[in-house]
Amino acid sequence: MTISEERSTEVTGAASGHDHESRKLSWTQRPGIFSQHIGTAAVLAVVGYVIGHWFGNYLTSGYSYIANSGQNSTANALALAFGVVGWLLGIGALNYPFAKLFGVDGLEEESPVDNWTKYFRYTLDHKIVGLQYVVGVLLFLFTGGLLAMAVRAELLNPTTHLFSPDTYIKIVSEHGTIMMMMATSIIVGPLGNYFVPLMIGSRRMAFPRIEALSFWIFTAGYMVIFSALPYGGFPTGWTGYAPLQTQAGPGMVSYLLGFAVIGIGMILAGFNQAVTIINYRAPGMTWSRVPIFVWSILATASLLTLATPVLIAGGLFGLLDKTVQTAFFVTEHGGSSYLWQNLFWFFGHPEVYIMALPGFGIAGEIMPVFTRRPLFAYKVAAAGMIGVALLSFFVWQHHLFQSGINPDMRPLFMLTTELISIPTGFIFLVGMGTLYRAKIRLEIPMLFVLALFFNFLIGGITGVFLSDVPVNVTVHGGFFVLSHFHYTIMGGLLFAFMAGLYFWLPKMTGKMMNKKIGKLHFWLMFVFFNLTFFPMFIIGLLGQPRRVFTYASNLQGLNDFSSVSAFILGFSFLVFFYNLVYSMWLKPEIAPPNPWESLGLEWQTASPVPPYNFERIPVIMTDPYRYSEEGAPAFADLGTGGPTDPSTHSLA
Amino acid sequence: MTNTLDQSGEPSDTPEEREYEMRAHISSIWTGGRLFIGIYTFFLASLVFSYFYLRSSNNGLLWRPDHVTAPRTYGLVIFGFSLITAILAYYGRKRLVKGSFMDFSVAAWSGVGTGLLALVFQILELSHLGFFPGSSGYASTFVGFAFMNIITLVISAYWLETTVARGMRIRRELSGASPEFSSHPRARAFRADVAAMAYFQVFVAMTGALLFAMFYLM
Repeated sequence: MTISEERSTEVTGAASGHDHESRKLSWTQRPGIFSQHIGTAAVLAVVGYVIGHWFGNYLTSGYSYIANSGQNSTANALALAFGVVGWLLGIGALNYPFAKLFGVDGLEEESPVDNWTKYFRYTLDHKIVGLQYVVGVLLFLFTGGLLAMAVRAELLNPTTHLFSPDTYIKIVSEHGTIMMMMATSIIVGPLGNYFVPLMIGSRRMAFPRIEALSFWIFTAGYMVIFSALPYGGFPTGWTGYAPLQTQAGPGMVSYLLGFAVIGIGMILAGFNQAVTIINYRAPGMTWSRVPIFVWSILATASLLTLATPVLIAGGLFGLLDKTVQTAFFVTEHGGSSYLWQNLFWFFGHPEVYIMALPGFGIAGEIMPVFTRRPLFAYKVAAAGMIGVALLSFFVWQHHLFQSGINPDMRPLFMLTTELISIPTGFIFLVGMGTLYRAKIRLEIPMLFVLALFFNFLIGGITGVFLSDVPVNVTVHGGFFVLSHFHYTIMGGLLFAFMAGLYFWLPKMTGKMMNKKIGKLHFWLMFVFFNLTFFPMFIIGLLGQPRRVFTYASNLQGLNDFSSVSAFILGFSFLVFFYNLVYSMWLKPEIAPPNPWESLGLEWQTASPVPPYNFERIPVIMTDPYRYSEEGAPAFADLGTGGPTDPSTHSLA
Repeated sequence: MTNTLDQSGEPSDTPEEREYEMRAHISSIWTGGRLFIGIYTFFLASLVFSYFYLRSSNNGLLWRPDHVTAPRTYGLVIFGFSLITAILAYYGRKRLVKGSFMDFSVAAWSGVGTGLLALVFQILELSHLGFFPGSSGYASTFVGFAFMNIITLVISAYWLETTVARGMRIRRELSGASPEFSSHPRARAFRADVAAMAYFQVFVAMTGALLFAMFYLM
């Protein structure tokens, strides 16, 4: 257990000052081919995989029905699990947990070299972990996006096929799973890890080792989920419903284990961020002065920590069904396929808000900057986020309206689902209130925020329809639902992520993103996102089901329109990647210290941000969004000899 | 501009800053310990939910056929050792607060021993089941419970062992001075860790009692 993990260097520092002379790197951290980095992680992952496979075969060698079945799920599961352990061993994430067994408290784990290779190592600097997450989620996004292109290519024609129906459903399943796993971490991972300590005036995360571990588990989970493809894929969609889950081949093991592994990473990330926000806020940062993005991360972290364990338990039960032949989800043997649905959606619906809330947090952070106005009804926004987080635990059964739940239960869950639209509406109205009569600077981050509100309005309103049992029963399992959740998740979350990246990349990298290419990216993404997914509402209402590789021929025109739009939408991401390469490496433009003139604390510290974030622990003086207010004091006293004297403020 | 950096280029913390960070660190251990119990509650609640869901569904009248009986002796032994572990951890923490590091060490190491014994018996029970794992809803949830209990016991023993090992090392580093009263930052963090660990052990014993009643008595 790693609860007691601490940044030992910090504690040492507190005791004896920052004594560099006493720092000795362990041999695993010294530069050189045998030090620990992504290469050693890959090697040990392969070694672990081989050992796990052998061990699984050894354990099951006495069971003839497994030996004769042609597939040994126990061997597959252990191979992947040992592979994950090997990966973590190789990167160095388990050095400290092992050292702790011997009472070691001050293991030196900082990156030994200050060059680009530190991004491929286990590191305790939350800013490096944030950047590692940026690359990680973009890799997820790119892989899932390629699969989406394959899906739309197949749907170009109802009779001429690129894939077999079996292959098609496996591509759809892999796409959905990769995207959902990516989406849970896309803001909390990169932007949460990088900016939460900066925004609350902290020099560190509460548990830096847990933070780093969460990233490397995230990458391991990605590989486990991706391993489903060479194993033959899984046919269940991202929801993994039984009994199809029970009947599926070895790719299903990758799905179940991958979900569980990434779930552990999600819990660790949420745990660390929640504890950091609660305990490491700078002096003077009362709860009513916490930036709205931090509120959103806190609400999300509470969902990550409390909802995800249920997913992990569900994954464990599924793996036991596949390996030791239990019957959790096998109705014929005393289990129930509905049990999986309950466990999955108890996590799955809060997950929707895990994805939505940080997006609204980003919007709330960016709007005051580009309107030069305070965030309208700040406390309502914060309360709305907490309200959404709480209510999200009471709505999961609406996913089972069609699954044979007691009909008398439907009105209750219809009501709770409609109730959650109230705090969500609060958050939306906070955005509208901030924009009302504002002089908006239409910089790229703001464009993405405006697009977010447009998209989420469509996604949200269709969600209200879907919460009603009659509509839900009518359009269930069709493209209407598919379009609804793409509007909320891609239209909301992904646009917010892009807004956040364009807004904060200058701080993270010290370079500005190119505006012209950025605007081209925005307009392509916004227009063709809507042209891709809006027709799907109509396609759905006309009766096209999800996850089926053919459809009625009269729907080909709409499907082709949607597919061509999707290809251009995919192209817009290439424009983004090009902009990233162009602006960061090909023709970099040095970013000013505060290019958007934000009052946010993250912009007040030095650029590039030093390892310790702030020279002095800042003292928060006032509310975070006092834009355009005559005589308003600075948000924080940074204590570096500025206008106010830090010594006058008590830290206790 | 005031020079607030030392020669190495890092901040030269003021005593107030060091104290502030130390307090935040200790509070983090407190918050983290409780939050971890919350996380684990939801993890175990999934099993409890599954148990009652399958029990009330009783699909094909296969919730619990007559021949599916959990080995109660094993259950008693495992639960007993878990309970002793928790009592020892809690007692050790109490003794540490009173100033007796030696008592804490003996209690904690004994707790590690009983925790490992519980783990061994749990594995033995799993390998000597009198029924097929998929023979009924009860059998499935029982196997799920056994696997979860293995995870719980490993975490519990690990946390206890690393805490007492750390305490002993801190004691050596403090040149024999006991960490129970020291104001050294590591000693303060250690005491917070002991408190969080003891709460978790009590939590494990309490949930163990609930699960024992569900799987062996009901």
